[in-house]
Amino acid sequence: MSGKYKTPLLDELEKGPWPSFVTEIKKAAKKSPMADDELGQLEKSYRTKRGYWKHGGIVGVLGYGGGVIGRYSSLPEEFPGIAHFHTVRINQTSGFFYTAEALKMICDIWDKYGSGLTNMHGSTGDLVLLGTTTENLEAIFAEYSSRGWDLGGSGSAMRTPSCCVGPGRCEWSNIDTLDITYTLTQEFQDELHRPAFPYKFKIKTAGCAVDCVAAIARADLSIIGTWKGNIQIDQAEVKKYADAGMNIQAEIVEMCPTNCMSYNGTLKINDAECSRCMHCIAKMTKALRSGKEKGATLLVGSKAPIVVGSLLSWVIVPFIKVDAPYTELKDMIRKMIGWWDDTAKPRERIGEVIEAEGMRSFLEAIGVPAQPQQVKEPRKDPFFFWEESDFQK
Amino acid sequence: METAELQEKIFAYMEKMKGKKKLKEKDVIKALAEETTEAPDAVKKALRGMIDVGRLMYSYGGGASSVEIPSEEYLREKGLIK
Amino acid sequence: MALPKRQTDIGPPKYDQFIPPVIKKNYGKWKYHEVLTGGTMVHVAESGDTLHTVRVASPRILSTETIRDICDMAERYCEGYLRFTTRNNVEFLVSDKSKMEPLLKELKEKKYSVGGIGPRISNIVHTQGWVHCHSACTDASGMVKAIMDDVYDYFTTKELPNKVRLAVACCVNMCGAVHCSDIAVVAVHRKVPTINHELVTKVCEIPTTVASCPTSAIRPNPKEKTVTINEEKCMYCGNCFTVCPPIDIHKPDEDGVAIVVGGKIGSLRTSPKFSKLAIPFFYNEPPRWPKVVAAVRNILETYAKNAKKHERVGEWIERIGWESFFKLTGIEFTFQHIDDFTFARDTFRTSAAFKY
Repeated sequence: MSGKYKTPLLDELEKGPWPSFVTEIKKAAKKSPMADDELGQLEKSYRTKRGYWKHGGIVGVLGYGGGVIGRYSSLPEEFPGIAHFHTVRINQTSGFFYTAEALKMICDIWDKYGSGLTNMHGSTGDLVLLGTTTENLEAIFAEYSSRGWDLGGSGSAMRTPSCCVGPGRCEWSNIDTLDITYTLTQEFQDELHRPAFPYKFKIKTAGCAVDCVAAIARADLSIIGTWKGNIQIDQAEVKKYADAGMNIQAEIVEMCPTNCMSYNGTLKINDAECSRCMHCIAKMTKALRSGKEKGATLLVGSKAPIVVGSLLSWVIVPFIKVDAPYTELKDMIRKMIGWWDDTAKPRERIGEVIEAEGMRSFLEAIGVPAQPQQVKEPRKDPFFFWEESDFQK
Repeated sequence: METAELQEKIFAYMEKMKGKKKLKEKDVIKALAEETTEAPDAVKKALRGMIDVGRLMYSYGGGASSVEIPSEEYLREKGLIK
Repeated sequence: MALPKRQTDIGPPKYDQFIPPVIKKNYGKWKYHEVLTGGTMVHVAESGDTLHTVRVASPRILSTETIRDICDMAERYCEGYLRFTTRNNVEFLVSDKSKMEPLLKELKEKKYSVGGIGPRISNIVHTQGWVHCHSACTDASGMVKAIMDDVYDYFTTKELPNKVRLAVACCVNMCGAVHCSDIAVVAVHRKVPTINHELVTKVCEIPTTVASCPTSAIRPNPKEKTVTINEEKCMYCGNCFTVCPPIDIHKPDEDGVAIVVGGKIGSLRTSPKFSKLAIPFFYNEPPRWPKVVAAVRNILETYAKNAKKHERVGEWIERIGWESFFKLTGIEFTFQHIDDFTFARDTFRTSAAFKY
């Protein structure tokens, strides 16, 4: 049964101080013949330098079109334990907070029905269970959902929203990232479980421009907390940083991208020139706090390079209030998605559609005026469209 | 149109298209709304009703999600046929 | 045994069931935090309450056995409360400061790696690789293990000018933030895919397959109900393989990895940046990819030696210029470095001022 493979190449990856994924697979393989065959196939990949997985087909449980990713070994006769080795995505909690009790329950069920291997967490944010068979899917779903846990998104659908730790444990967070993510996940349950979109749509929420959840790079809609009003300065704490050896002139004043600060014993900020980049606040967290009027910048479009190049998200709404119950935010998201859904070709992300259709088309559809905050600079060429409405101004 | 009748039409369309084109949920809604003059929302609701009981299913392939008629294997696995 | 009754569309359980009382009490009212060591920090609330955090490395692939062990420790020292970070570290949330010492002691005894906080290397964000992905052309987990073993001191103790975010993607789909990381490895193909025509006819939609190609290298062959590929135009992105798997992009002896550098996601000081090509190719050398590991270390140490305090890798390179980056690192500059795709015109130098 278990332990049937010699794995000299993988064994090399049990050496060294960093925790070893090979050790994890071996731990699972003690109990699960599936995990053991996973180990055997992986050793073969290390010998031949290629993977042996196929995917597609199975996507969910009855009624759902996502949350399960069909995965099959292309060598089922050699590794029968992983002939089916599907992924189950469990929608994680906001901010990845857990209790030991909840995680142990998740483990107990997974040991019963799957390989005992997980990813904590997947790239989009889900708690990922690696490796089960088609016949176990309904049981797994019944066990988890009856205990209050639902599947995450996959395919051409809303993907599981994700966020940084936010107000749970960070003094920089301008918005309640945890609550926004929970609320939006609940709001879009239908879109998340039943793939009716042209392609995937990801939402990530970060409390500030430090962006610990990579919202600006990895989400079709990036919600990033910001503020208006003056940065609050505690001069006594500024002095303590100086006394402790911080070179405030070099490390803070001269690294400010807008040159809006000065220091000669007291720190001064010309807030009208501040671009809210977070450098000074992050480096002098005891002395500086963001302004009191809180909100978020909505940016749209980021994605990985497939297929004509990566995109970072673009500023669409420079400032929006985001307080519970988030009605304005929800309406705005529905307008964005509605335009994309009506306009996109299959497998086109929203950023690509904005490029193809023009930013104006998108902004008008969602009712957002043109503002200089949306661009780095105006256009350089003399070719621009005029519409009938422009002549009436 | 009665939901059951609409669902029969949806199923007939799915059978007609089987093997010809991978259909997205939206393709089906659009085609049937045109064919029956029912509101797209009504078609969507009828379609969802069929997916909920396994008469149709979501699938994934070629990098995108689609809707199709389930295989016998799927129905057996879901306990919908013996 | 009968199964419990399923529920649909319930979403995840609400986060407030999983946060410790000290967070509930001080939610949104944190005043500041201090980094205590490479893997510990304390958050202080306006109320004066404190929350200590111990951050621990994870290989991301975790067995239920290890998760239970982590949970047992959370129960012993943190009333059961823990979380994971966006870079897949484990965080123990310690409300009672006196539990810090015994927790750290047990972690040390069990050989857990404490670190990743402050101006250091945190866990590498990475993808599934050969472990579980159909489109992988390298193994992400193995390369991550080899790299992190090598730069381990920069996770636990040693400081850098600023944090350095590493990522590994096992193909150009990049299910990780490779495109905006300080130093990242991405697996690439270099040969035109091989078409299994019989299977293409059987399982692929020809128009979708043709449309999937970003360089219009794929043309339909209606007579044979398949497609042809113009070899001169193909850039080996593998998008055709995603929509039509019988177009096999994998060539185990010619696939390998590239190294990209200088990306960031935060808006601090300078705008978020894409990573750019530093080294176009290394062959896959499992199990430990020694050349890739050495190249990452070289870039990391050149940065550590030359960057100003608080400069990220990309900011440092922009200050000194890319020509200086190649000189300082000793990395060879090749035709592959010069863009001939979407962003090309923005990358050619348009100034007579540059360095040697």
